[in-house]
Amino acid sequence: MLDTFEILTTTGVVLWSKSYAPVNPSVINSLINDVFIEERTLSGAGVGEDISAANNPPYKHDQHTLKWTTVKELGLIFVAVYRSLLHLSWVDKLVDNIKTIFIDLYGDQLKKPHTTIVECHFDEYFDQQMQQLEKTGLGTDSRFPDSPFQHQESRFVGISRDEPPPLPELGGKQENNTLSNDPTANELNRASSADNSRPTTPAGHLLTAKRPPGGKGSRRARKAANAASAHASSGEESHSKIARANKGATQKKGRKWDADGLADEDSDTQLDYSAAANGTTSDQETSERTGAVEVVDQATWGSKTGKGQFILKDLDDQVNSILASADSKKEDSAATSTGIVGSSLSAIGGLFRNVVGGKILTKEDLDKAMKGMEDHLLRKNVAREAAVRLCEGVERELIGVKTGSFESVQAKIQSAMEASLSKILTPTSSLDLLREIDAVISPSALSLQKKRPYVISIVGVNGVGKSTNLSKICFFLLQNKYKVLIVACDTFRSGAVEQLAVHVRNLKELASREGGEVELYQKGYGKDAANVAKDAVTFATQEDYDVVLIDTAGRRHNDQRLMSSLEKFAKFAQPDKILMVGEALVGTDSVAQARNFNTAFGSGRSLDGFIISKCDTVGDMVGTLVSMVHATNVPVLFVGVGQHYSDLRNLSVKWAVQKLLSSN
Amino acid sequence: MVTIQDLAQAALNPSPVGLALAVLFALLIPLFLHRFIFQSSGLTTLPSVLLIGPSGSGKTALLTLFERGNHAPTHTSQTPLAVECSLPVGTRAGSDKYRSVNDPTNQAHKKFLLMDTPGHGKLRHHAIKNITNPQNLKGIIFLVDAATLSAGDDALRQTADYLHDVLLILQKRNVKVLKELPVLIAANKMDLFTALPAALVRSSLEAEITKVRDSRSKGLLDSGIGMGDVDDEKDDWLGEMGSKEFKFSQMEEFDVSVEVSGGNVLGGGGASVDKWWKWVSERL
Repeated sequence: MLDTFEILTTTGVVLWSKSYAPVNPSVINSLINDVFIEERTLSGAGVGEDISAANNPPYKHDQHTLKWTTVKELGLIFVAVYRSLLHLSWVDKLVDNIKTIFIDLYGDQLKKPHTTIVECHFDEYFDQQMQQLEKTGLGTDSRFPDSPFQHQESRFVGISRDEPPPLPELGGKQENNTLSNDPTANELNRASSADNSRPTTPAGHLLTAKRPPGGKGSRRARKAANAASAHASSGEESHSKIARANKGATQKKGRKWDADGLADEDSDTQLDYSAAANGTTSDQETSERTGAVEVVDQATWGSKTGKGQFILKDLDDQVNSILASADSKKEDSAATSTGIVGSSLSAIGGLFRNVVGGKILTKEDLDKAMKGMEDHLLRKNVAREAAVRLCEGVERELIGVKTGSFESVQAKIQSAMEASLSKILTPTSSLDLLREIDAVISPSALSLQKKRPYVISIVGVNGVGKSTNLSKICFFLLQNKYKVLIVACDTFRSGAVEQLAVHVRNLKELASREGGEVELYQKGYGKDAANVAKDAVTFATQEDYDVVLIDTAGRRHNDQRLMSSLEKFAKFAQPDKILMVGEALVGTDSVAQARNFNTAFGSGRSLDGFIISKCDTVGDMVGTLVSMVHATNVPVLFVGVGQHYSDLRNLSVKWAVQKLLSSN
Repeated sequence: MVTIQDLAQAALNPSPVGLALAVLFALLIPLFLHRFIFQSSGLTTLPSVLLIGPSGSGKTALLTLFERGNHAPTHTSQTPLAVECSLPVGTRAGSDKYRSVNDPTNQAHKKFLLMDTPGHGKLRHHAIKNITNPQNLKGIIFLVDAATLSAGDDALRQTADYLHDVLLILQKRNVKVLKELPVLIAANKMDLFTALPAALVRSSLEAEITKVRDSRSKGLLDSGIGMGDVDDEKDDWLGEMGSKEFKFSQMEEFDVSVEVSGGNVLGGGGASVDKWWKWVSERL
């Protein structure tokens, strides 16, 4: 079963919701954060105006599976939440149908500006859809394809045991049962054929009486049917039992009988009364009595919009017509696009609107321009994967959007891409390294943490500038008067320790002027890096260092043997920050590098930031920034912009976006 | 020849029809202009109040509470939202102080636009844009979650960061466009057991902003600066120059008055947002 179904706006207001089991709001919040804001799992989502829930990848969040779909122009999100253990094949259909119905009913209200209030009485529509889809869902699951209704009935009998109170429709049901035992085969045939053609017709129980020959009805169903006819006139208890069974079997028609049911219990001839009293005839009765009336009834089915008595029928009807009209609209739009005159006219209009603005963008309009944008990004050294994703995101955002007055498609794409790039590069939380260090080395008296050094470790492939950037960070920390310990964990490449020693010597020289303190911790070559790191952190704690900077050996990101040692390293050294150095020169490989390093530290630990080195050497082609962030959603902490210790910068998103979009 | 003369005569002679048409046009054109240009331009831009704050502080819930009188369930916002609200019965807009109670314009002055912005780190540009291009902006409500602001908490750091950025933007704003701007720091979720009282929220935010200010001044430069394209580097020090500790009162120098008051949107005893209403009504 569903846990909850919510209809919410992109502005965060829940318009309508129905929950069957309490679900923590953080489940849906994390869907919004991960899928919509940070766009972590959108890669598989289709591009287009009308995305079905089936095409959106389901989102899983502790034990819950979320199926969702959106309506962009109204800013709506439809989410169905259910337990991951269940396989509900009809949820996609439910989400789609609810979307169609909701838009049709309340679309006008949603377009009103400056309000969040949407008057919706959606419960009945939703219940109707739930029941219909549940029924069809079970029907298709049937193991007896030649007698689906019986099987269905048996299932319902089973389910309905724990269903709460019997509705006041007992008499009607019972009456029906006795009627169904009459050997009027003609009527039954007609009724059942009508039922077959329209599964929502409430005549399911008749089929138990008229079992198709050879159909393997389940024993339970047969028993239930027999029980119903045998104890047709017994006390209230059997009534309720039958009612429960029948209610299960014909769950959908429940509400329709409300008015008649009470009257039926008193006498045998009340069918006519109730019909007269209501002024209309219910399907149920007519379908049983004469074929002629049934035909009339079918014709007038849709027009019957009573004042509550026939809500369910009305709903069925309304819902079906909404869904049908939505379908036909879709077909229409597909069909009209092929007309010669129409297309040429619209082409002229389109050209005109291209210049003047006010054009509603379609996929065709965007395709060419998006290709241009993609090429532009590729020229800026953005990896193809990231470029494609960015373009898809922009396309998804723009389809169906109206251009402003005198705004060309290009300009629109440009601005959308700018927004998209700044969104991807902007970190989710602030990246103030100094304050984080302060929080760790001088914890407030209230938080029961002990003072310990702040550990930063630096990883990366060979030759990207790990040691150089480590020294730059060290210089920055020394300027802020921290006591820093540099740990040489590159115990593999000859000369690595000596290289760091040179840096430390220089930094010591500078530190004496700046006011910090720096030492090198090294154990020579051939030792296990993880152990060295662990020892160093213990040493730093004893000697009261503020920051520990750990340099690691460069490793190829696709070499499993080298990468696997990182997990142990992370476990032993427990770094507060793991920074990966990537060079701006690298092209498409940046995505794979970032991804492999991000997953190398085992579950529960990932990279905390990137340092993009050698940004001064690439000019405008700073696409690596985007590629790496795209691959991992890890923010860029620093960029290296030169050869000196002071050439380390925070990333300015504005600057990066400007460089990426500048044309040369 | 004759026909041409006739035509010319017909065209130039004063005819009653032509006269009537001319009069009609003369009268109608101003009406049309008024109707289509003047009215549609939205003469009455409502005064607006901006809601900002970190994600999860209850901005959208407060917005629905102000709009409807009771709060709606909410989730993380992705897009900004503007909603027309009117002051509750019994409160009067600050500008109506000297008006008669029965003055019908009182009603008009009770309406204002409440603008909600997403608080997620990646989506704060919406809020920033509203501050830098204000449209009849009367005040900013900065919502904080008082239950998460205990010292050493990560949420306190994030909140102080955001508040620091907002105040810095206000400090550097174009004074001609936006003369004075009051800020209300609304400490939400007072119904929770762990919530700090308003005075403590104030002092802990001030202390944390002091730290932010220090570390920003010591931090690295942004990329782009000193790499060819030099920005007009204004002073990035929030508050009084050379002051050791940041106090919200330092912002008054820049015509930004900061108030802190507590309240709660949700809670067993119902919402208590009267103080915030009062603050809003005084600003209108």
